[in-house]
Amino acid sequence: MLIKIAWRNVWRNKTRSLIIILAVALGLWGGIFSDAFMNGMVEQQVYSTIHTETGDIQLNKTGFLLNHDMQMRIQNADSVIRTIQQNPEVTAVAPVTQMTAMISAASGSAGILMNGIDPEAQAKVSDISKLLVQGSYFKDKGADQLVISQKLADKLHVKLHSRIVLTLQTFSGDITYGAFRVTGIYRTTDNDYDMQMVFVRNTDLKSLISFPGSDVSLLTVMLKNDQDADSVALQLSQKFPEIQVQSWVQLSPILQLATGKTNVIIFIFVGIILIALAFGIINTMLMAVLDRTREIGMLLSVGMKPSRVFGMILLETVFLSVTGAFIGVAISISSIAWFGKTGINLSMIAEGFNALGYSSIVYPKLGAGFYIILSLMVIVIALAAGWIPARRALRLRPAEAIRGE
Amino acid sequence: MAVIEVKKLTKTYHETVVPVHALNGIDLVFDKGEFTAIVGPSGCGKTTLLNMMGGLDEPTSGDVLVESEDISKMRPSQLVDFRLHNIGFIFQSYNLIPVLTVKENVEFIMELQHRGREQMNERVDYLLEAMGITDKKNVRPKYLSGGQQQRVAVARALASQPKFILADEPTANLDSKSTDALLDLMASLNQKEEVTFIFSTHDQRVMDKARRIITLEDGKVIHDSKYALKDE
Repeated sequence: MLIKIAWRNVWRNKTRSLIIILAVALGLWGGIFSDAFMNGMVEQQVYSTIHTETGDIQLNKTGFLLNHDMQMRIQNADSVIRTIQQNPEVTAVAPVTQMTAMISAASGSAGILMNGIDPEAQAKVSDISKLLVQGSYFKDKGADQLVISQKLADKLHVKLHSRIVLTLQTFSGDITYGAFRVTGIYRTTDNDYDMQMVFVRNTDLKSLISFPGSDVSLLTVMLKNDQDADSVALQLSQKFPEIQVQSWVQLSPILQLATGKTNVIIFIFVGIILIALAFGIINTMLMAVLDRTREIGMLLSVGMKPSRVFGMILLETVFLSVTGAFIGVAISISSIAWFGKTGINLSMIAEGFNALGYSSIVYPKLGAGFYIILSLMVIVIALAAGWIPARRALRLRPAEAIRGE
Repeated sequence: MAVIEVKKLTKTYHETVVPVHALNGIDLVFDKGEFTAIVGPSGCGKTTLLNMMGGLDEPTSGDVLVESEDISKMRPSQLVDFRLHNIGFIFQSYNLIPVLTVKENVEFIMELQHRGREQMNERVDYLLEAMGITDKKNVRPKYLSGGQQQRVAVARALASQPKFILADEPTANLDSKSTDALLDLMASLNQKEEVTFIFSTHDQRVMDKARRIITLEDGKVIHDSKYALKDE
């Protein structure tokens, strides 16, 4: 009976209840959708970083990443690759010869990171081959092919099939030059990456700089599951104590920080919205108690325990809040599902996003666990918000309340 | 047999600078099955006396004994339980629960008493029939006339099978036809159920039906007479 009365009481003043239900629904929708947007953005960045830049795990000589000294190399790479491939979690391993270089065209030059790759193996650890906007990804058999980003091509004023010159240091420390032809142009969502990374065939690069044939600068490893990177990295580092093994988490600590803190930020954000809504709920319920002073006086007079009156007001608050939350969550799930498929195109501010390494199309996303915690938060906030009006009802003296005082 | 004994009851309100003596040492005894009207001018202490007898307010001094049990000494939580099982209330403005139907309003008290479903259904059917509102059992109070609402309030007050019923100006908002009908029903139930009715009223028609009239003035009993029923 108490539940029945509480539920029907919610609908006594439909306008007042609907206003607060709508406020809760829209407030939560705004909060949840913003969180899904932020979460989607971070997850996309993690995916993009792993699948275009770092891979799940990288192996190199300690200190190599600081100055790209080509003497700091992994020797007998084939044997290392074979051992890595024996790990059941590993799906692909790609060798890379990497060094700093100068790229020059008729109208300018730029400092870059030259990557000598095995196109087939690299395609399994990096999405660059899928991010081509012009040309092809080492499709032709011809030598001296080069893939650069759209950003760098624009800076150097080069086009597909343009000839460019690379200035590099040989393995023995001399300076050498190589002429390459632009055969592919890619574009990622990270401006910094695009301005730095240039790809050529490993064989072409090695022969140009006389790099030992069986050695590489680094190895990129992809796993079945990105989340296993730390544990597999640990296993590999035990097998290769002389090689530095780093997971994407270690290679990109800012990303790891963003991933780890996103959930905390999301719940703080939603928590603030819920607290703000709680004041609206308190106001509505206080008005409801004030309107029903006489009725509450009657309930206390005829023998309803004050604790049950208290519980009734709390229940009403929970019903009011949960109804609003249910609607808000339903709208959120629908809109997140919709925009999760179509994406939100922020191309108008894409430059700013790309500068930060984010994609200009964001796909909002939230896990099921979020909604479970959110439901608990709504109930806790509703109980807290109902406490004040319920206490007000509890303090009513039946003889006075029955007269509406 | 005394159902209620009021002994040297006083109540002083200190809401203003000057204390207001609402009740000044009242002594009264109410027997089982009485049909009593407490009358007097506004502010004479009728409602205060009813509140004291109903355990809704604490006396400044004196005692209220219900079947020899002193309710003025009870803790608030004990009083709530006592009221639920021993006292029925009828209010001037009906005070039904607007979100419940007529049937649910009457059942409500019995639910608080944790009565069984079958027992509740039986009692509700009996009372609604006695009050002549069986056809309204699934209707909410706002669709009823004032007289019908007050009949529901009487049914609710009787539902808990109380030792006595306190009715504070129950006919004040009713027209004469509804008042007569309601009083007849209450008088009949008073006889059938042997439940004690104590009214506070200004209404001459209630006084005409009452078998005892107590007149209060300035918080004191100035007149107390018992009358026999015409057919007695």
